Amino acid sequence: MTTASRQATIRFPYKRSLGPVMGAFMTALTEQRFLGIRSGDRVICPPREWDPDTAADLSADDLVEVGPAGTVESWTWVAAPGAAHPLDRPFAFALIRLDGADTTLLHAVDAGAIDVMATGMRVAPRWKAERTGHITDVDAFVPGETPEGGGGAGAEEPVTMMEYDAAITYTLPITPNEARDAEWVAQGRFLGLQCPVCGRTYLGSRGYCPVDAVELGAEHEVELPQRGTITNFTIVTPVQYPGQTETDPFPRVHVLLDEHDVVLGYQNLIEVPVEEVRVGLRVQAMWDTTGDAAELEGWIPTGEADVEDPDLVNRIC
Amino acid sequence: MGHQPCAIVGIGQTHHKSRRWDVSLGGLVREAARRALDDAEMDWDDIDAVVLGKAPDLFEGVMKPELYLTDALGAVGKPMFRVHTAGSVGGSTGIVASHLVESGRHRRVLAVAYQKQSEGNAQFALGSGKGASLGAGGAFAPFMRSYIYRSGAPLDVGPMVAVKDRENALKNPYAHLKIEDISLEKVKASPMMWDPVRYLESCPSSDGACAVVFTDEVGGREAEAAGRAPAWVLASAVRSEPASFPGRDPVRPQGAVDVANDVYQQVGITNPREQIDCAELYVPFSWYEPMWLEAHLIAEPGEGWQMVESGATALDGDFPVNMSGGVLSSNPIGASGLLRFAEAAMQVRGTAGEHQVDGAKVAMAQAYGASAQYFAMWIVGSSLDPYGS
Amino acid sequence: MAARTDDDIAIIGWSQSPMVRATNKTETQMLLEVITGAVEHTGITRAELDFTCAGSCDYVAGQAFSFVQNIDAIGAWPPKRDSHVEMDGAWALYEAWVRLLMGDVDVALATGSGRSSTADPGTIYPMEMDPYYLAPLGVDAMTFAGLQAQALVERGAVTERQMAEIAARTRRDAKDNPFAQVSGDFDVDVLLAEDYVRSPLRRHDLPPITDGASAVVIARGDKARELCERPVWITGFAHYAEIHYPGLRDLTKAESVTLAGKAAGLDEAPIQVAELQTAFTHEEPLVASALGLGPDVEINPSGGPLAGNPIMSTGLVRIIEAAARIRDGGTHRALAHSTSGPCLQQNLVCVLEGDER
Repeated sequence: MTTASRQATIRFPYKRSLGPVMGAFMTALTEQRFLGIRSGDRVICPPREWDPDTAADLSADDLVEVGPAGTVESWTWVAAPGAAHPLDRPFAFALIRLDGADTTLLHAVDAGAIDVMATGMRVAPRWKAERTGHITDVDAFVPGETPEGGGGAGAEEPVTMMEYDAAITYTLPITPNEARDAEWVAQGRFLGLQCPVCGRTYLGSRGYCPVDAVELGAEHEVELPQRGTITNFTIVTPVQYPGQTETDPFPRVHVLLDEHDVVLGYQNLIEVPVEEVRVGLRVQAMWDTTGDAAELEGWIPTGEADVEDPDLVNRIC
Repeated sequence: MGHQPCAIVGIGQTHHKSRRWDVSLGGLVREAARRALDDAEMDWDDIDAVVLGKAPDLFEGVMKPELYLTDALGAVGKPMFRVHTAGSVGGSTGIVASHLVESGRHRRVLAVAYQKQSEGNAQFALGSGKGASLGAGGAFAPFMRSYIYRSGAPLDVGPMVAVKDRENALKNPYAHLKIEDISLEKVKASPMMWDPVRYLESCPSSDGACAVVFTDEVGGREAEAAGRAPAWVLASAVRSEPASFPGRDPVRPQGAVDVANDVYQQVGITNPREQIDCAELYVPFSWYEPMWLEAHLIAEPGEGWQMVESGATALDGDFPVNMSGGVLSSNPIGASGLLRFAEAAMQVRGTAGEHQVDGAKVAMAQAYGASAQYFAMWIVGSSLDPYGS
Repeated sequence: MAARTDDDIAIIGWSQSPMVRATNKTETQMLLEVITGAVEHTGITRAELDFTCAGSCDYVAGQAFSFVQNIDAIGAWPPKRDSHVEMDGAWALYEAWVRLLMGDVDVALATGSGRSSTADPGTIYPMEMDPYYLAPLGVDAMTFAGLQAQALVERGAVTERQMAEIAARTRRDAKDNPFAQVSGDFDVDVLLAEDYVRSPLRRHDLPPITDGASAVVIARGDKARELCERPVWITGFAHYAEIHYPGLRDLTKAESVTLAGKAAGLDEAPIQVAELQTAFTHEEPLVASALGLGPDVEINPSGGPLAGNPIMSTGLVRIIEAAARIRDGGTHRALAHSTSGPCLQQNLVCVLEGDER
């Protein structure tokens, strides 16, 4: 089935605080050293603030140096690396028990070919030249006993934070209702869908009546009017976080459409100074028709007298 | 079978701050959990099951964090359960944990809820990061305007709530916002962020966690005998409803009315204002205090603001609300509901310190989420029979 | 077997969507259809559902608070007692089951839903891992499966040929499953000639990418009998977790599977059918052995997750398939298994029984 779709990428830069134990581990990475943490009679690497079996507190005072070489305890060959992987050529992910540790660290092994990989093989880290205190300061492990790469000094200050930049691209199908709705909008019209059970009308993109839990489709279409009345509003003073495109206070209004019991929430109101935005103001849709498809720019006053109805302000949904 | 009694014998929380950059995610939840275990005089081994609550995983960029936090919370070889019901999640977490005891499934359950908002940017996540983002305040502002119009409340009521909750926060050592010189003038002079809501009438964005230890009746009696007062879960309820449809009233949502009626009926409360000693209500924006007082049937429609104005909801009033300083003073979103539920329990245990309501025997807590459409509520008491029936 | 009482809880109706590589429906629409299907299968209306609990995942949906719009599928007006878990629908059913154990309400619904088709699993699943030591390496679910499979092969617990035979058997069995996405006859030698995706796993050892949803209705004893001629009783239900970081575990064991089976009373009587959420071929012998299943137990007659893997619904579908075997007759006692996390970190077992006949 071919379906129209749209793409959306969720990309967040995360900033993680490491706490005392992981902070020490990451700091040591910048110095081309590995730390494990002693818990009872075993050494755990990579270290954590708690014993994984008992949850007992572990202290940064019990960190001990391990490695740098180690032994592969299990591995899997990645024939076609993905964008999120540390290497862009075939490699192995492996569980590596660093010398002096009793548990394994998961990392990449740059072995060149699958035939080189074997459980029990010895590997050593290949350090990056630029190290920030991040698990990827080790570019990958390589076969043998001798660390490679590296150079330069460790971090001047203890590492306390790490960056993590994740991006996932979603391809979302456009449903038949969404497609129909978009067609109507492109013509500068509002599509409504009327529930055959309760008679309530919804915007065309919704596709179902949440009260009766029934699907709505082409047979339930109604055209919604272009005029309405402001029932409620807010004036937003924009906070300048990433992605905010506004700098001055701007209104968002709820519009109750004429004839149909449909409220469009958080709409843009144009050509009205913020101090004149009010409940009862009569408005009509303003479309930008300069492109191939019309786009709703917002709502402008019709010039009609305000509607005086004390219950109007309660029409929010 | 019916419910078996359930007692709260341990409560812990972190110091809430904008950025808890001194701890990892595991360190944050363990700080709260360790305090709860210490309070209960228990260790990790004593716990039979763990319930974890938090709001969207996108906020910290850890999907299903109950997996990563299993061993951090001592849940290895135990059931680990994850709840997410939007802003009400902290309340739902407590309720699910209490049900595990009440249903007889487990004897001792640890509930933990958290959010580490500083790891990502929650505002950005909420607004999809695109265009003229409204933020939560912008989304709720029209609901508050509707309340103001319909109730005829004086415009100072919102700022009065903001002052009261911040004054309470000064008595709470764990609260995030500590505004020593808080005053009506200061609140009214703060920027109008989402008309009719000012900056100081809005919740902060916090890192924080809360943990609660639940036991069966035997555990509650043992704690009592050892001089550690338990709080008993007298009733709990949840309700959800769709976000929007013609005829829905988001200012007095039916779910908010129903959830209150449900718990009142379970406890036998006919006059909540008289029979409940204090309440922790999820008030992220000032006007939500009078709105919830009405929707939860503590005040008549249009009269919730009068309780605020008369000082009835102050710490020394006849129906104190948000003794902890509330969401207006600390808002680690996922934990905010459990903090409400925990504060109610602290009150009836008599362990609330400087923000203790004298002689509190019955307390209510509530959390809500999404477009004021998810509700969680419970009533806790200092005994299983608080009215001596 | 003890006589059933009102405290016994039974599955009385269900529905699952066809498992497809990519749907053009929204998650809400998929849920709307399976909830309608489940209540019709039960012979009730949405109004008779006293409690509802949904299982879904924001990272699968690609949106924070994605489950909030799914409330539209429930018909939560008047408002409903309702909850949501960021877990497979099998755990949503667990919460619903605990809710009914409370005794004050009689009928509950659990759902699971997800559209895995919308993004590359290789970019989503690293987000589920240790955020400091694993996620930054882009370690995905296939990689963890490969590491565990390698450990099992080297321990002699399974061979690549046995894994291919499991792939061939389950997809052959899936030919009788009208909901299956991948089914047919495959030659093991041909399968073994393929290249590795994550050694020792080949493409046939991996589940498909699947969109889907499912819904299950349960009721307390008296109500179950009133509404349903052949209720399927939940006689045991338990879940356990183990350490997250795979380097801290013995990957040739699945201890939390064993714990869950024991706690669910698996040992109390023989079972005939096991529906396991073994999405990778090597997991089947590992889970079967952790549960102590003998050769007489039929495993994944539906085809299992290798025939269709609607993440967040896969576990609940196992429960539906096990219940269907009992409802159809021939099977008296069956188990369903669900899992979450790297290398089977968290496991759930639900034991089901029909009435004696």
